[in-house]
Amino acid sequence: MIKMNRNIYRILVVISFLGVVIAILFIISQTLTYLNTGADRNSMLHVALNKEKVYLPKLVWKDTINPGRPIEKQTMNDIQTDYLNAWYVRNVAYQNNELKAIDDYYTTSAMQNIVHTIEANQSNQLSIHGTTITHNLSLDFYSADGQLAVINDSGVKEYQHVYKDNQLLFQIEDISNYKVLLLLEDGYWRIRHIVKNENSEELEGLISNGFAKVIEDKIYVDQHEYQMKGINYYPQKTPWDMFGDDFDIEVISKDFDILKEAGLNTIRIFVPYVEFGKEQVHPEKLQKLQDVLDVALSKELMVVVTLFDFYGDYSVLDWTLTHRHAEQIVGHFKDHKAILAWDIKNEPNLDFESRGKENVIGWLKEMIHQIREHDPNHLVTIGWSDMESATLLNEEVDIVSFHYYKDIDDFDNDFSFLDVQVDKPLVLQEFGLSSNRGLWSPFGSSERNQADYHKTFQEIIKKKNIHYLSWTLYDFQNVPSSVVGGLPWRKHKQKHFGFIDASGNKKEAFQYISH
Amino acid sequence: MRIRIRHIILMGFSLLFSISFALLVQVEKPVQVTLKTTQKKYQAGDKIMLDFAYDSTLTFQLFLKNSYGSTLLTSSSGQFIIPEYLAKKRGTLDYFLIHNSKCVFKGDISIHANSDTLVELETYIGPPSIVAGDRDYTMHVVAPTDRYDNPLPDSTKVKFKHQFLGAEKEYEELTKDLIGWRNIFAYEKKGKLLVSSQIGETDSKEFSVEIYPALPEDFAIESFREHNYADGNQIITFSTGIVRDEFDNIVANGTMVNFVIKNQEGTLLKAQGTTVNGIALGKVLHPSYEDVWQVQAFVNGIAKSNTISVVFEAVLEDFEVDFDTSNREIVVGPLRSFMEQIIPDGALVKLEIYKDNKRIETKVKTSFEGEVRFILAEGFYPTGDYDFDISSLGVTKTFKNITLQ
Repeated sequence: MIKMNRNIYRILVVISFLGVVIAILFIISQTLTYLNTGADRNSMLHVALNKEKVYLPKLVWKDTINPGRPIEKQTMNDIQTDYLNAWYVRNVAYQNNELKAIDDYYTTSAMQNIVHTIEANQSNQLSIHGTTITHNLSLDFYSADGQLAVINDSGVKEYQHVYKDNQLLFQIEDISNYKVLLLLEDGYWRIRHIVKNENSEELEGLISNGFAKVIEDKIYVDQHEYQMKGINYYPQKTPWDMFGDDFDIEVISKDFDILKEAGLNTIRIFVPYVEFGKEQVHPEKLQKLQDVLDVALSKELMVVVTLFDFYGDYSVLDWTLTHRHAEQIVGHFKDHKAILAWDIKNEPNLDFESRGKENVIGWLKEMIHQIREHDPNHLVTIGWSDMESATLLNEEVDIVSFHYYKDIDDFDNDFSFLDVQVDKPLVLQEFGLSSNRGLWSPFGSSERNQADYHKTFQEIIKKKNIHYLSWTLYDFQNVPSSVVGGLPWRKHKQKHFGFIDASGNKKEAFQYISH
Repeated sequence: MRIRIRHIILMGFSLLFSISFALLVQVEKPVQVTLKTTQKKYQAGDKIMLDFAYDSTLTFQLFLKNSYGSTLLTSSSGQFIIPEYLAKKRGTLDYFLIHNSKCVFKGDISIHANSDTLVELETYIGPPSIVAGDRDYTMHVVAPTDRYDNPLPDSTKVKFKHQFLGAEKEYEELTKDLIGWRNIFAYEKKGKLLVSSQIGETDSKEFSVEIYPALPEDFAIESFREHNYADGNQIITFSTGIVRDEFDNIVANGTMVNFVIKNQEGTLLKAQGTTVNGIALGKVLHPSYEDVWQVQAFVNGIAKSNTISVVFEAVLEDFEVDFDTSNREIVVGPLRSFMEQIIPDGALVKLEIYKDNKRIETKVKTSFEGEVRFILAEGFYPTGDYDFDISSLGVTKTFKNITLQ
């Protein structure tokens, strides 16, 4: 027994000895690591700084002619980067009332002005979430030794959301001109003076070629009145992942034949924000979208392209990144004849609660503006999830889209009520019934119920001459959890909205896909 | 027909709704705001108050935005005093009167730099050193501010002054785009250019710009040595004349000069020196045999010298070689120099050993007290006939069929 105890003691002593050694080694290594930080070349030369782009307002150099000396391309880039960073750190500073990195982009004396304002805002519990959307730079002066530059920044469109005690008070949008003196210090172009000048008006964007337009409450495409008869489309094998690795233009082409034969003329497709590369759109994704649009054009189908699928940030500082995303996609397809409309976001009103209604509305409003700037030729809409939200921003959009999954008997009333309020074309952008009767849903609808539903809906649509896009062509085998959540019965429901079942047979409802 | 009774009823409802809504708004009353303050232009540092007339039972806030940021003021009386940190900054100050999350009145005032206060001069001069002549220049930039650190308005008069070798100059320029600036071109002489500026009563500090001599022109070289003999012992010194630029300035100290020496075999030797007061020196050991050197100096890529020729005479015509009885010890010397003096220690003697017309070894030794002793040990050189070549100071002597015992 004594021997046993002794062994236990021995083990304890050895273990505690090892523990102490490990602890000491850990402390020494941490101390060494701490002492080494800041002195490594990486941080001294600022090479690792700003690798990820976080702030991308549209910036244009109008001219660089100046009396000092010609500027080098590299310096121009440096000035541009540091100047935008200066705006970014300033926006972050006013948002958090912290002075992080301000001293990197403002000289000590210029920084005092920001310090004073932040002190005042902090004592008043104010937080200002701001971003700039556009900058138009021209170089007024660049010194012979390359250490000093004066730039003029005109038409700076700025948004500010003002919060007091975390409550949004109001939003302000304005356009200003600035004159800025920058000095090259420690490898940074720092702001020495910034002077706000008389405000200016916004510059005119592109002019529409009149391809798609709305006159009163009718849609016109290429001078002809257009009645939307369509469907929301995903390929059967790749729902919510249309442009992924399994993208097959042949499959899509065949599906388009089915739709065309069924008498439809429009489809709605979805462009996921993250998958397309966020602020740096992947060219191969763009090519896939181009292929789909080209096939649609050849099959005489028009396309409503829903952007920003699965996007959910909306914070003011994130705006410029989404603007670059839109610019690259919308600008690329501005002359494409298959596109009918850009649908900015699918069901954004569902984000009101989690992201703040004002944030979402503010983002949508500016995004409409951005999209029109890059593509004035196609229509703009927002895919609201219900009729109640459909009147939001109805002055800004071209066509008002809404989804309807409620009781079919109420549709007539609800639609009439909306029709009176809105004098733009109304699009029933999603509707449908899941034939999901089965294990997960014993009292769900059968395929017969689904057929009846579509039959009735088509009658109403025909009678009222409504633009429509039904949900959806296929029953799906897999529905990603990001769409409806992970609950099996919800997934099950989402799998059975199609007109064609999982094995490729036309369901009873198919005959009512169109009228 | 699209219009039906239900439609009409709905229209009625919505009409009622909108009327009642309108009534509701009526109850709220449209907000009446007027600005009593008429002044729109201020000087930095002025006390600025915006006085609004509105229904004092309502709450209003004033959102302010200037060059550096934004803030929010609250007032119940309708009088908003602009905080000092905003009132003292130059630029447009935008204001937005907010009521119930809506902007009900907006406008702007402009604040100018305060020209009554003391001016501060920030001076930037670059490059800090330039080259003499009429091509290079330095730029003198002045960013004047008032005491609140606001850049002064455009068209402020700035006096740019500089002094150089007795000349004092003064020019006047107007500021534009926050700064005033002037280029100062270099003079033809090297020296220190002193620069300053002045606005009104305020003078800047003194700044200096160095004017360095321009690029060197071609120059002359000469050599100096103790004697003409190729003794491998003394040092020959090459020296440039005073190297000058095209304006007769002595080139900057430290200008690198390369002396390139070509001997009769075509081998290149090199010596290097940097100029001090325009003169660079290069030093090389005398050769140890008769030779003629062609010497030219270069400031690489910029200027070159003339070529001079240096002749070295042989120091001796012959020397003695003694073999001992077994021929295994060879004594070379005594080596005598030009005055028959024992040559200084360190003269090279080379012994080449041939066996059956094939060189089997080369031994090199330096002289000590005029002599060199080679010992050919039995273990390395078996008994037999050998040939020897012994050379020193440009003289070679050959010994054939020497028998090592």
